Amino acid sequence: MKISDYLTLEHVVILTGATKVDALNELVSAANDFIESIGTEELARAVWEREKMMSTGIGQGLGIPHVRLPGLDDAVMVVGVSQAGIADYESLDDKPVHIIVLIVAPQGKHEIYIRLLAKVANVLKQDDVRKAIAETDDPAEVYRILTEGKV
Amino acid sequence: MAPETISSVVHTHLPVLMVIGLAIFFGTIGAKIFQWLKIPQVVGYIAIGVIVGRTGLGVIDDATIKNLLPFNFFALGIIGFMIGGELHRDVFRKYGRQFFTILFAEGIGAFITVSILVSVIAMLMGQSPAVSVALGLVFGAISSATAPAATVSVLWEYKTRGVLTTAVFAIVALDDALALILFSVAASIAGKFVNPDSAGIIETLGHAGWELAGAVVLGIAAGFTLNFVLRIVRDPDKSLAFIIGVMLLVIGSAKAFDFDLILAAMALGAVLSNLAPRRSRETFHVVERFAQPIYVLFFVIAGARLHIQGMHMWMWVLVVPYIVGRSAGKIIGANLGARLAGAAPVLRKYLGLCLFSQAGVAVGLSIIAGEEFGGDIGIAIITIIAATTFVAEIIGPPCVKLAVKAAGEVGLNVTAEDLLRSHNAGDMMNRTCPTFAENTCLTDIFRTIAETDAMSYPVTDADGKLTGIITLEELKRSFSAEGLTDWLVAYDLMTPAPDTVAEQTPLIEAVTRMREQELDCLPVVAGAEDPKLVGMLELRAVNRSISSEILRRHQLADGPS
Repeated sequence: MKISDYLTLEHVVILTGATKVDALNELVSAANDFIESIGTEELARAVWEREKMMSTGIGQGLGIPHVRLPGLDDAVMVVGVSQAGIADYESLDDKPVHIIVLIVAPQGKHEIYIRLLAKVANVLKQDDVRKAIAETDDPAEVYRILTEGKV
Repeated sequence: MAPETISSVVHTHLPVLMVIGLAIFFGTIGAKIFQWLKIPQVVGYIAIGVIVGRTGLGVIDDATIKNLLPFNFFALGIIGFMIGGELHRDVFRKYGRQFFTILFAEGIGAFITVSILVSVIAMLMGQSPAVSVALGLVFGAISSATAPAATVSVLWEYKTRGVLTTAVFAIVALDDALALILFSVAASIAGKFVNPDSAGIIETLGHAGWELAGAVVLGIAAGFTLNFVLRIVRDPDKSLAFIIGVMLLVIGSAKAFDFDLILAAMALGAVLSNLAPRRSRETFHVVERFAQPIYVLFFVIAGARLHIQGMHMWMWVLVVPYIVGRSAGKIIGANLGARLAGAAPVLRKYLGLCLFSQAGVAVGLSIIAGEEFGGDIGIAIITIIAATTFVAEIIGPPCVKLAVKAAGEVGLNVTAEDLLRSHNAGDMMNRTCPTFAENTCLTDIFRTIAETDAMSYPVTDADGKLTGIITLEELKRSFSAEGLTDWLVAYDLMTPAPDTVAEQTPLIEAVTRMREQELDCLPVVAGAEDPKLVGMLELRAVNRSISSEILRRHQLADGPS
């Protein structure tokens, strides 16, 4: 499984908002063209419903919101980077979140969904990868690092 | 012009198939009502027969009864065949001596009691001593017969199993033969009393021997043939045609050659079940399913035949001692026989109660006796036996029910399907199944899975409503990931439940749905409109508890009693 199968350069955004709500809304809007059949409202509702269960801020400056929705053909990813960090993300380690990866997967493809989550988590587990992404404001560089899986 | 009676209108306008349809339809309704009143359904069929028959509306009149006679023979043949299926070699090896002793004792018990009572009463009513003794002997011999149909239908209805059930099957199977022998001896002696020129004892015994031996030979030969055919034809639908074909050939031949019909069919069934015990189980099952409407018709006709209006008062005077004497004779005889044979206490106590029913054989013998005696006495014998048969058919089945219930044999012969039909999903679901809240984290999920042995786990929201399930299979397939355990929750892993059932859904429907969709587990919710989770139904657990319940009941039935 390759991240490039699910991520395009257009879906890497440099976040301008400073709060979790703004950041997630920016990502949902960016995902819009993938999910025309679902609509941004529905996607935002699903993302927030999942956040209510448990925050997807998994520590080390990472947030991986993820939802499954019916009516999609394949999984998609949108990546947002905030150099300033999102302080109110309710991360597991209470630190600001700098990299947010939104994963939207089709309802029936459970296996792809889990493997994609695992792949993203594994790539971003590397300190140098996280650091390089968090410090750049060039979407192309973020895309390169993520898809190559190294700095 | 005389006004048309219901019967003449019906006879003119109702074709025989319509009468059959009405009899089966309303007979079944009658049975349902009686079942609801906790009375064996066979009594319901007979009651409907009385209502539509000669005593009641006259929808089924003499001519119709005559037209339907072949169905009667067919029903008797099927009943004989099914009883034959119960006569396994090992049962006779184990209980043979006991059963034969009890059979003779109960048969002769009824014969002696009824003979004495009827002779005395006939004499008191002014008949000559010769005619009185002759009547006594004939009634006594007829009284020894027990009708298998109504008796066995109660055993089937209440799914009985155990030593009493086995003994009843064996004894009603052999009772006809005993009655025929007793009757041929008694009738020839009685004949000598009334008419010195009548046939001798050797001649009548010879005739009985022909009836019985011919039946056995015919049944055995047909049994071997059918077994050979069924070994080649495995398809149940086609084999049903062969079975019914052979059965009708046996019944038809028995009638043509004057053999005992029930005995011939019984021999056929017994040969089949002993030659191929396992394969023939399916055969009997197929016939059992097919036979239900024919039984209904048979019993409705039995009720329709009764003609109470044709009974004189003095005939009723003989009905009572016949019924009382016969019942007492059967109970005392069975008790003495069981004591003599050292049989199980349940046989001593309850077997006699199971032997009250009378039907076809008694009526048939009464017709032979009626012809033998001729005149008023001949008609009286036929009429009285028709009435006693009716009473015996009404009191017989409830007494069988009473006996098997007291012996604790009711419901011990259940199949998995019976048990599935008698329960709801709620009865067998696991109410304390481990359930995950939507935000249960993966670490806790793993811990629970390690500590429990379920195959799938329901996930519920804050209100307890089912939102999805987590199956081990799904978890295993999707779990190639490390590092996710800290931040994935049940909500991320659950999949929508493929199906659910309400607590009140019949278990058989739930299990059928699970099998069709190849599901191991099925969440059970409070109602069709209420998605609140109340438990999980696990196919494995259902199968386990059904099997152990069947085993428990069979052990209870077959164990020492």
